[in-house]
Amino acid sequence: MTERYSFSLTTFSPSGKLVQIEYALAAVSAGAPSVGIKALNGVVLATEKKQKSILYDDQSIHKIDYITKNIGMVYSGMGPDYRVLLTRARKLAQTYYLTYQEQIPTAQLVQRVATVMQEFTQSGGVRPFGVSLLVAGWDEDEERPYLYQCDPSGAYFAWKATAMGKNHINGKTFLEKRYSEKLELEDAVHTSILTLKESFEGQMTEDNIEIGICNQDGFRRLAPSEIKDYLASVS
Amino acid sequence: MSILDYNGAAIMAMKGKDCVAIAADRRFGVQAQTVSMDFDKIFEMGPHLYIGLPGLATDVQTVSQRLNFRLKMYELRENRKIKPKTFMSMVSNLLYERRFGPYFVEPVIAGLDPKTFQPFIASMDLIGCPMITDDFVVSGTCSEQMYGMCESLWEPNLEPEDLFETISQALMNAFDRDAVSGWGAVVYIIEKDKVTKRLLKTRMD
Amino acid sequence: MDSQMNELYGNNGPKQVHFSPYAFNGGTVLAVAGEDFAVVASDTRLSEGFSIHSRDTPKTYKLSDKTVLGSCGFHGDVLTLTKVIGARLKMFEHSHNKKMSTSSIAAMLSTMLYYKRFFPYYVYNIIGGIDDEGKGCVYSFDPVGSYEREAYRAGGSASSMLQPLLDNQIGFKNQEGATVVPLSKEKAVALVKDVFISAAERDIYTGDAIIVQVVTKDGVKTEQFPLRKD
Repeated sequence: MTERYSFSLTTFSPSGKLVQIEYALAAVSAGAPSVGIKALNGVVLATEKKQKSILYDDQSIHKIDYITKNIGMVYSGMGPDYRVLLTRARKLAQTYYLTYQEQIPTAQLVQRVATVMQEFTQSGGVRPFGVSLLVAGWDEDEERPYLYQCDPSGAYFAWKATAMGKNHINGKTFLEKRYSEKLELEDAVHTSILTLKESFEGQMTEDNIEIGICNQDGFRRLAPSEIKDYLASVS
Repeated sequence: MSILDYNGAAIMAMKGKDCVAIAADRRFGVQAQTVSMDFDKIFEMGPHLYIGLPGLATDVQTVSQRLNFRLKMYELRENRKIKPKTFMSMVSNLLYERRFGPYFVEPVIAGLDPKTFQPFIASMDLIGCPMITDDFVVSGTCSEQMYGMCESLWEPNLEPEDLFETISQALMNAFDRDAVSGWGAVVYIIEKDKVTKRLLKTRMD
Repeated sequence: MDSQMNELYGNNGPKQVHFSPYAFNGGTVLAVAGEDFAVVASDTRLSEGFSIHSRDTPKTYKLSDKTVLGSCGFHGDVLTLTKVIGARLKMFEHSHNKKMSTSSIAAMLSTMLYYKRFFPYYVYNIIGGIDDEGKGCVYSFDPVGSYEREAYRAGGSASSMLQPLLDNQIGFKNQEGATVVPLSKEKAVALVKDVFISAAERDIYTGDAIIVQVVTKDGVKTEQFPLRKD
C-alpha cells in the first residue's frame, strides 16, 4: 500500500533544480566545521564539537567514528542523520567482509555509502540526508591513505585536503595556502587544528574539538590528553 | 550412487616453484555411457586464475557461468583484478547461498596473485567449505586414486616442466583406475608471464 | 507413564533388534611378483570405525616356504579363513606326502571362498609366492573367489590409493618409450615402503607399521618398518 501511493519529496523545480538537496547542503553549511587532510603516511579528520550548554557531558558523544579498523568518518550537518549513515556504512563494510573475507577498500565503501545517499534523493517518503561526510581510510593492498567527501546528493570526491560546514570557504582558502604534497601525518594534525582555529570562536580546548587519525595501524580517535598536547604545541 | 558421480570427472591442482598447475580429464558421460571426449571442466577466470569444476555436468556449466557473471561485476565495480583468495571466497559465497539445495560441484581453484604472483591452490566441498593447501588438491570421482598418486609423486618447489610431468602422471594413472573419468586430459601450467595449455592423449577405455 | 504414552502413540507393536554379522577392520595388503621372488606386505593396524584395536596385528600369513597370503577385511573372517586354510594344507600334506604348490593353494582358496558364495567371508586376499617353475607369482581374489594371476596387486582399505601408483611404477603405465627393466628385489621392497608411507598419510585404516615378507627359493624373509601412528 505504502509503496503504491508514495511519491518522492525531492522533485524538480521548474528551473531544473532539486531544491530539497540545496536545502540539505544549506544544513551542511550551517553545521559545525570539519576538516580532513591527507598526508603521506596517513589522514587526519578534525571537527569542532561545541556544546550548547556547559552542563553536557562532552565525552559522552562523538562526531568521529570508525567504520572498519582501517576506515573512519566525520560529518558536518545533522547529528542524527549522520548516525543513520554510520550504521549503514558499518553494515555495508561487514557485508563486504562476509562475501570476500577481505576488508572493504575505502573507495568501495564510499561508493556504496554514496549510493545510499543518492537513494534518499529519489525514493518515496524520505528526504535527503542533512550531512556531508568526510571518509578517511588506509588501503592495506595499495598501502596508501584516502580521503573522500560524500554529499547529500550522493556525489563524492577524493581530496588532498578539504573543509566542510560553517566557514568552509575560509577553511579551504587556508588549506590551499598551507597544504604541501610532502606533509607527514604529525604536521597534518597541526594544520587541521590551525584550520579549525581560523573560524573558532572562543578558547579551543581538548574538550571542544575532536580529532581522528588513520594510518597503517588503522583508524583511531585521539584521546583528549593527546589533543591537549597538540594544542599546546600549536599555540 | 551420488549425483556428484553421475557424469564422472577427475580434477587436481598442484603448487610448484613460482607456478601452479591445474589438470582435468575430458570425459562427459551419463553413468557408464561415454557421450563425448572434449568436455571442458576447467575455466579461465583471469590471466592467472583458473577454476576446475568436477561434478554434475549441468551444474558445472551453470556455476561457471554464474561465477563469470559475478567476477565481471566485481572487476567492473572495483576496477581491479581479483585475488585468488578473494575469488575463492566469492565461489564459497555462491555455493553457500544454495546451502539446502546445492550445486553438485566440488571446485578446485588454482592461480597466481595478480600483483605478487604468489602461487595459490584451494579446493571446496559442494556447499562452499574452502580448504587452502601448500601442496596439492584433488576432486572428482577418483579422488582416492588421485590422493595416492599425488602423495607419492609430488615434491616441493617443482619447476614448471617437472610440475607438468608430475601432475600429468598423477592424473592419468589415477583416472585409469576409474571407470567414469579419463578419455583424454588437459593440463594448464600457470607461470608469471606464460600460461601453457596442453592436451594429453591417454588410453580411451 | 510409559505404558500410557505407548498406548497413546500406538507403540505397542513388535520391536526389531538388528544384528550385523560383519565388521570392517581396515588394513591394506600388497603383493608384487619379481622374476624369481615375490614380496607380500601389509600394515599392522587393526581398527573399527574411529578406534584402533591393535597397532601390531600383521595381516600376512606364511602358508609354506614358498607361499605367503595377505588377508584383510573383517578380521573375524580373516582368522577363520586362515585357520581353515592351515588345516586344509596339513590334510593335503598328509594325504599326498608333499607341500601344496602356490598355484594349487590359489585354486583351493578360490573354491573355499566360492563355497560360501551366499554368506561370504568378508575378506580381501592376495597370495604371493614362487610357482612350480621357480618364478615369482601373485594371485589376487575378490571375497567370493574370483581370482587371477598378476604381476602386482594392492588390496584392502588403501588399495585404490596404491594400485594406480603400482601401475605407473611397476607396470610403466602412461610412460611413453620407457624401457621396461625387470624389477629387482631391492627396488620392489623400497617401492612397497614408499607406497605404504603415502597410504598412511591419507587412509586412517592404514598405519602403525608395515610387515614386508620377501619370498625366494630359499624361503621367506620378514622385515618390519614403522609407519605413522596417528
